Amino acid sequence: MKKLLIFSIGFAAFACNSLDESPKAVIVSDTFYKTEKDADAAVIAVYNALHSSQHTLYNRLMQISTEMATDDYEAGPRARNAHVRALSNLTHDASNDRMLELWRQSYDGINRANIAIEKIGANPGLDPAQAGTLVREAKFLRALLYFNLVRWFGGVPLVTQETTSLTPENIYVSNATESEVYARIEQDLKDAESLPAPSVGGRIGRATSGTAKSLLSKVYLTQKKWKEAADKSKEVIDSRWYDLFENFADVYATSQKNGKEHILSAQFKGLSNWNGNMLAGSSAPTDIPGISGDYADALHREGLLFESFEEKDKRKYVTFGIQYTSPTDGKVYTTHPHFRKYFDETVPASPYESSKNTPIIRFAEILLIYSEALNELNGGPTSEAYAAIDRVRARAGIAALKESQPGLNQTAFREAVFEERRKELVFEYQRWFDLARRGSDYYVTKLKAAGKVNAQPKHIHFPIPQRELDLNPNLKQVSGWQ
Amino acid sequence: MKKNYFLLFLLFISSGLLAQEPLINSRLQGKVVDSRTQEPVIGATVQISGVTHAVQTDLDGNFFFQTGQKFPYHLIVSFVGYKKKQVTAEASPILISLEEENQLLSELVVIGYGAVQKKDLTGAVGSVSDAYIKSTNTSLERALQGSVAGVNVTQTSGQPGGGVSIRVRGGSSIQGGNEPLYVIDGFPVYNSSTSSGVVSGAATNPLASLNPSDIESITVLKDASSTAIYGSRGANGVVIITTKKGKANETKVSYDFSYGLQSVRKKLDLLDAQGFARLRNDALYDTNPSRGRYQYLSEDQITALGKGTDWQEEAFTTAPVQNHQLSFSGGTRQLRYLVSGNYFNQDGIIRNTGFDRYALRVNLHSDISSKFRVGLNLSGARTDSDIAPSGIVSALISMPPTATIYEPDGSYTLRNPFENIFSNPIAALNERKNQSVSYRVLGTVNGEYDLSEHLTAKVLFGTDLTEGRDNSYLPASIYEGYSVGGEARRGFSSVFNWLNENTLTYTRSFSNRHFLSALAGYTQQSSQRQFVTTGAQQFINDVTSDNSLQSGNVPLTPTSGDSEWTLHSYLGRANYNFASRYFVTASFRADGSSRFGKNNKWGYFPSAALAWQISNEDFFETWSRQINTLKLRASYGSTGNQEIGEYQSLSTLTSVKYLFGDQIVTGFTPARIANNNLSWEQTNQFDLGLDLGFLANRLLFTVDLYRKVTRNLLLDVQIPYTTGHTSSLQNYGSVQNQGVELGLNTDFGKGLFGWTGNFNIAFNRNKVLEIGNDARFYTFGNYIVEVGKPLGSFYGAVTDGILQENEIDEKGKYTGNAIPKAGDRLYKDLNKDGAFTTAADRTNIGNALPDFTFGFNNSFQYGNFDLSVLLQGSYGNKILNSNAQTLELFNGQQNASVTAKQRWTPESPGTTIPRAKLDPAPVFSDRYVEDGSYLRFRNIALGYTLPKSWVSKTTLSSVRFRLVGQNLLTFTRYSGFDPEVTNGTTISPGTDAGIYPTAKTVSAEISILF
Repeated sequence: MKKLLIFSIGFAAFACNSLDESPKAVIVSDTFYKTEKDADAAVIAVYNALHSSQHTLYNRLMQISTEMATDDYEAGPRARNAHVRALSNLTHDASNDRMLELWRQSYDGINRANIAIEKIGANPGLDPAQAGTLVREAKFLRALLYFNLVRWFGGVPLVTQETTSLTPENIYVSNATESEVYARIEQDLKDAESLPAPSVGGRIGRATSGTAKSLLSKVYLTQKKWKEAADKSKEVIDSRWYDLFENFADVYATSQKNGKEHILSAQFKGLSNWNGNMLAGSSAPTDIPGISGDYADALHREGLLFESFEEKDKRKYVTFGIQYTSPTDGKVYTTHPHFRKYFDETVPASPYESSKNTPIIRFAEILLIYSEALNELNGGPTSEAYAAIDRVRARAGIAALKESQPGLNQTAFREAVFEERRKELVFEYQRWFDLARRGSDYYVTKLKAAGKVNAQPKHIHFPIPQRELDLNPNLKQVSGWQ
Repeated sequence: MKKNYFLLFLLFISSGLLAQEPLINSRLQGKVVDSRTQEPVIGATVQISGVTHAVQTDLDGNFFFQTGQKFPYHLIVSFVGYKKKQVTAEASPILISLEEENQLLSELVVIGYGAVQKKDLTGAVGSVSDAYIKSTNTSLERALQGSVAGVNVTQTSGQPGGGVSIRVRGGSSIQGGNEPLYVIDGFPVYNSSTSSGVVSGAATNPLASLNPSDIESITVLKDASSTAIYGSRGANGVVIITTKKGKANETKVSYDFSYGLQSVRKKLDLLDAQGFARLRNDALYDTNPSRGRYQYLSEDQITALGKGTDWQEEAFTTAPVQNHQLSFSGGTRQLRYLVSGNYFNQDGIIRNTGFDRYALRVNLHSDISSKFRVGLNLSGARTDSDIAPSGIVSALISMPPTATIYEPDGSYTLRNPFENIFSNPIAALNERKNQSVSYRVLGTVNGEYDLSEHLTAKVLFGTDLTEGRDNSYLPASIYEGYSVGGEARRGFSSVFNWLNENTLTYTRSFSNRHFLSALAGYTQQSSQRQFVTTGAQQFINDVTSDNSLQSGNVPLTPTSGDSEWTLHSYLGRANYNFASRYFVTASFRADGSSRFGKNNKWGYFPSAALAWQISNEDFFETWSRQINTLKLRASYGSTGNQEIGEYQSLSTLTSVKYLFGDQIVTGFTPARIANNNLSWEQTNQFDLGLDLGFLANRLLFTVDLYRKVTRNLLLDVQIPYTTGHTSSLQNYGSVQNQGVELGLNTDFGKGLFGWTGNFNIAFNRNKVLEIGNDARFYTFGNYIVEVGKPLGSFYGAVTDGILQENEIDEKGKYTGNAIPKAGDRLYKDLNKDGAFTTAADRTNIGNALPDFTFGFNNSFQYGNFDLSVLLQGSYGNKILNSNAQTLELFNGQQNASVTAKQRWTPESPGTTIPRAKLDPAPVFSDRYVEDGSYLRFRNIALGYTLPKSWVSKTTLSSVRFRLVGQNLLTFTRYSGFDPEVTNGTTISPGTDAGIYPTAKTVSAEISILF
């Protein structure tokens, strides 16, 4: 019996390795959000939701998911994804997986913002000034994501807290109304207005007071709050934080990144582990030796956007390329027009490794917002409205509207502003939003004129993804798509 | 007679303990020999009837007694594998010959934490016959294929050393692991890949490092009474592998060599260059009729094309496979040894793929004293795999025959020249480095000490060490590496898994009628996995491959990781039988697993079994001459599944990158919602079995009925994205498997003519009972998981002919195309909404699970010749032929099946094959669900042993030759490469999408015993 006892004690004493999991290579949520650096990392995670690798919101996804459904773009020959082609043909439905990605990535970012706002706000140990800035930054990003969602899908569920358990009230969130969503966006942006000014150093690529005000002016404009839009855009213009580059090409020059015209840009860096601007590769040509482009995301259709530029318009050959130098044989090849804004000449053989940023909002747009808002507010263009749009035209090297088309009525001026937006903001994920905010008649007319015969009034929204409707009984489909 | 085995076992144990020396009245010398061979029987127990005095035979079969008994007296002589014999000793010396007992029932079956004789089993346990293990030297799983009822083995890749999917009595977990637990010389191993993720392609099989020639026995535990002793890891069945051991005074040196040639079973019938060029012309014309009929090539150019490149022909080769095995075994009673070395080299049937294994084993067992025994089982292996990168097979069949491997300037053609982008597969096979090297040391050491006559303590320590190294290089000369200027990556992974088991066994019989054995133990196992990956891009040239990362201009972000799990367990089992008639087994295991939520760390797994050996009843005497065995078995118990990976209950953070200007910054975000209640899946299984033996138990028939219900499935439940997450791991839902297994074994001995046979067939029916949240179904790609239906159900459209010119207005809406045209495929409008849409008009169009699987193995022996034939098959399973779907797009951008020649054209509208078009939307339909039933000659082996008279003139003691054919003949209606395909997951089995095809092999072998 003694031996048995020794044996038993022997092995019982040997027990080690607790059953509690304490991972060494991953951080667990409970132990995080303690320091200013943790808090900063929580906000960086929200920025990451804007774009990371291929097919994320501001890195190609919005091009293939929304811009395909406009008059300026259609699926290129190498866009083999049936979902993308469906969008391009306007035969998409609620089962389209690109839409699902828009929805998923936006709410992923919103959840990250909610977490940052909650966890940083709830930690009294953090430096109040730093914590306040981080919370406001997260609110800005949440506003940007909801602003996209409400324009794509109308009244979407408004989630403003982290989901920590799977109770029905947490996961079966009903649609909010559009005005409820906009109210939250405006409130978040108003909070974010007290972020540091852009002139404060060390905020390269991050949201600032100027970013918040600029986006707010656009939010007002979209809601047709003309007075507020005009005032807010004027405030940005008058602040003198921003200005146009003299040279349009500088907007996309890697040497001028986050420069005076850039209010907020999606940040890219090639040859650094897939942080390149993928739109550059997916619009690069396939028929030039050594350029391994895909020409998938946007096919140029003859007789439309490219031809609409005046030849002297300096934007024309920044936006488009018809000649490329082969990195293999050094010869210059002429091809049909390809979108070239993000094509990085330093890495012609690896076009996906482009280091060019994609603007999310830039000063030229603020001028156009101001111009448009004044025209709407005053029943026609004021001289200030002309002046604002003409700053943009002057930089493009084309005739001032005031000179070439003075005395436009409200409707004609509105068209002029929209046409200017179209040319100025090509490939900056703006066209679908501009078409959709003009209403279904405008959208359908424009699309049919471009040969997209399947366009219907409902296309000013995208359908809420079927997956979400299946999983959430309280969620209703956007009107026109039921 | 059989009932005395337990007693003998006890006597065996006690023989060394009781050595009192009473008055000596007689001395008896004797020898025990095999009745057939007259060879001495070593270690046989000789006991004087009625007293406890027993001795064992020595190396020459001799024994010696000094006893108080006077002549004559009765001796009871016994040895495992021989019939027990009673003889009367009248005088000394005496010669006793033992007859071999027929193997079928007397063999010891290794079960969890012990071994029992087959006739005493209470649970459903299958064992792979010794002969069969010997005949399959390629891999362990191959030996399981077709040999045990209810064990379904399917290759997930024909890549040498590639993966295998094994299901014991059907898959019960939807998203957790479904592979059985392997117990190798007492060490539990779950066969999960440890790759660092650097190499591309099918996962290699970690068990490929185990040398199959070292295996002595394989047992598969199927019912709950046998698996519950493995608790939270028993739900998918347990495969127990025991390696060979040396035998005292039986010195053996053997060398086995085999060499074989493998080839692909068939190639797919595809268009040649001319056919493809015409298809492309048609597709282009279809989109842009204004540009004419010959937009690609003119009819003259087409005629000049010839056949073009046959990409399959370029890639598939006849590949050699060879195996060398050298082993030494023997020893003394105090120390037995087995030392073996193995070299296995298999080239793949796709060029530049292959697998090498270098394995060593040392098994040592020693009786340090009559009470204390120690054992060591140690194996080390290195495996090298050259893996076919993923997408290779798809690219081989899709690459247009008009494309060439090389450009006119001698450089590689980078990719498909048309709009659908994929790289040149031959360039990738030739130039890409995609290699995985792994070192594995698996060893257990144990000590056993007899605390008393009945009680034995055993302590076992074991470790399983794996070091893996992945090497990858994409040279700039091929498409994959072109735009990044060459990319080198290296990955290192290591797994340290250790085990400690402490058990006590108590064995006792009372009044020769009650037999009791009991087991209690405490075990702990823990594993730590670490990995590092690193790499670089933009190399000046390809000279240094992946060997000089510092030579690349752009370093890739390194990654590393660490994960650990721990399992603490208490286990117990009691076996009782009364007079070998009534058997009761009860077992229990408590498992504490680190993988589960903090509120649910411990799980409890009880089981019980009853068996009634009716043929041992007195009343059965009347029939016992006709029916030698009649046994009923019943068992019920609970087992678990914990295969979900580590840290799944915690809200862990994922690190993400962002850029501010040119500066890279790091953020953290929660990867999931915490679930403190996360628990194991629980499987409750009921089994009812019947064993019947005829003709002196040379014909054995076994039938088992079972039902197993798995609850609290570890299900990654889809949740709305508005939560910020895709899914949450919950214990939701349940799945049922029920079925019948039949087995028939024959053993018509040795002698001039011998025949052993095994026929087994298993019918399993799988059904989803519940998927949580009151949901009725959810879809998963081309599959649907639906309550009341089996897993593996295909979900797709139903074809309905071809749209003709005059039907466009009427039926055009059933094509799914915005602008229907004649020649489009029509589909059924299943939801009757007046139009066909891909998402809405889908239904259940077949199931990947078989109605039944079977194996039929026969070994014949006539004189010096032996022949074994294994037929194996599966019936009623469907395969999603994804290759065929790709090959019938007819878009002119990639090659197509020869069915393209029957495509719809205005000139030949009467067809079921749609027209060529540049831009078809792929629709998964019933056309691509094929019957996957097959019957195949898995293994045919013809052997010849040189007559002893010839061999005896040399220094050799035995020489045997064999010719072996594997997969030589297959009967199937499946149109793909091979019907034995699956992608391995339970939720989506049976998809054939670019899977490396299974080979057929012819080989010659020689076995020499020195």
